[in-house]
Amino acid sequence: MSKLLSSYRQHLLSLLCLLFFPVFSVVAAPPETYKFLSLTEAMQQASAQNKPMFLYFGRYGCSTCRKMHKEVFTNDEMQEKYNRDFVLAYVDTESGKRIKLPSGERMTEMQFASRNRILGTPTFIYFSKEQKPLFKKAGFQSIEQMNAYGDFIRGGHYQTKTLKQYLAAK
Amino acid sequence: MRSGFWAICLALMTASVFAADRWQFSSRTAISAQPSSGLFHQLGGAGRKHIAIAGQSVAVVWEDNRNGDPQVYAAVKQTTDQAFSPSIQVSAGSESYEPTIASVADGVFAISWEQDAEIHVRLLLGSGLSDAVRLSTGTAAQATIAAAQAKVYVAWPEQSARQWTLKVARLGVSESRQLTLESTVAVEAQALATPLLFPTLAAKAEALCVAWEDRRAGHTRILSSFSGDQGLSFSPPQNLNEFYSNRNAYDMGNGVTRVALAAFGEDEVVATWMDKRRGGAGYGIFASLGADGGEFFGPNEKVHGEQGDRQPHYNPAAAGNMAGEFVVAWDDFRRGDSDIWLSSYNDDMEWSEDFAPPVAAGQGEQSHPSIALDEQGNLHLVWIERADLAAPTRLWYSFGQRVPD
Repeated sequence: MSKLLSSYRQHLLSLLCLLFFPVFSVVAAPPETYKFLSLTEAMQQASAQNKPMFLYFGRYGCSTCRKMHKEVFTNDEMQEKYNRDFVLAYVDTESGKRIKLPSGERMTEMQFASRNRILGTPTFIYFSKEQKPLFKKAGFQSIEQMNAYGDFIRGGHYQTKTLKQYLAAK
Repeated sequence: MRSGFWAICLALMTASVFAADRWQFSSRTAISAQPSSGLFHQLGGAGRKHIAIAGQSVAVVWEDNRNGDPQVYAAVKQTTDQAFSPSIQVSAGSESYEPTIASVADGVFAISWEQDAEIHVRLLLGSGLSDAVRLSTGTAAQATIAAAQAKVYVAWPEQSARQWTLKVARLGVSESRQLTLESTVAVEAQALATPLLFPTLAAKAEALCVAWEDRRAGHTRILSSFSGDQGLSFSPPQNLNEFYSNRNAYDMGNGVTRVALAAFGEDEVVATWMDKRRGGAGYGIFASLGADGGEFFGPNEKVHGEQGDRQPHYNPAAAGNMAGEFVVAWDDFRRGDSDIWLSSYNDDMEWSEDFAPPVAAGQGEQSHPSIALDEQGNLHLVWIERADLAAPTRLWYSFGQRVPD
């Protein structure tokens, strides 16, 4: 897990100052009642507001994403907490939308997803308020799981426990 | 029984050797200089057409940021030359992206690209360039190109007032070697509220086939349309990929993306794309063969072999020639870091075992292949190489000598 997160850290932290080159306004479909931003906007806002970030890798037409939108993201408590406590970012894993890394390299959102070895959607990556990636969850997650992940970040438990330890003690 | 077993083993060994020995890649040629901090090359054009053969000339087109902003560059060489020419800047404007290239006549190439959200096209004539022609009227990107019988075709998606249209332009070549715009048509008369993305073209005589990513069905499908009158009118779109659903009530079909077309034989077309029908393994590389210039396509076929069944694959490209040969290239990291892989039909009309040319595999990250087949069946390959995923890049070319059957 730590090796995995180290890999994410290497790739994702390098994006803190990335720029965005719009070409087409192509958005897949994050849940409408959530305040999802582009990756660029979200990272800037999370840094400015010192808030944790929730990064959602989705795909247009992804069935498990649709299922979560209907059965999980509709939960009022979860919606309120995620909109309040996180800066929300959405990446379309098939998008040609361009981003540029501080190194000068540009890539598409699709390249960003493949470089971070995102094989399926949805995949969620949770960041601390220090903008460090903490853990990744792929596939369907229940309301209870999503709320527990959110509480783990919100309560700062990641500073003393792993997610596994936190969930076991809960 | 025992002899039957050894006969099967021998047949399998023969098939394996055939796949690996179809082309002999003896060396490689750097197109760009040594990797330099902050310099990154891109081979990400729609349909992945970054290399073309025109008679005895080979030309490569790409995007890089050597001057800060992204611009489009080309390099050319004679097939017998060891080195490519110094790079030629093709684009202008503040930012230019995602070029594609096609051969028009001996020593003549056509290049299309996006420049400040407009689509442009011009000829590459040796080390010179014709005037650029602007093709788009709305916000546009992801241009792709093909040519046949001295006609140049460019397709691109265009967005205006949040409506999407897929457009195809036909251009002729004047005696003074300038491009002249002959027509621009929409593949479908009705603009759509949902995106049309990353088109690709295959042209042969009067026939023109265009394929693209289409989101009108609520998920992405690969659609294709056919023109039998050199791009003046197009048939209603048809599904190119078979889609799989019913995994749950929300499932409308598996993901598909980044289709590439290539013409081969008298009037055939190969289409290849990334396809998520395998579920959790990520994208596979799938293909379909089209007849009558792409008016009809056959069933979908898995391109990569069993060794790649549990791995994701990326950046498929296709090439074909008049002799009826075709090949698909892609990249994947089944061996830890990314390598280039090839597959083509073997004598049994089945996709061969995956073959990684040694010149484009091994240490470091080799990715984003683009390929062209010449009429002798030799394979021309260009790709991006870097020491690791964050390192600066270098462009490489290799000539795969066709080994006689």
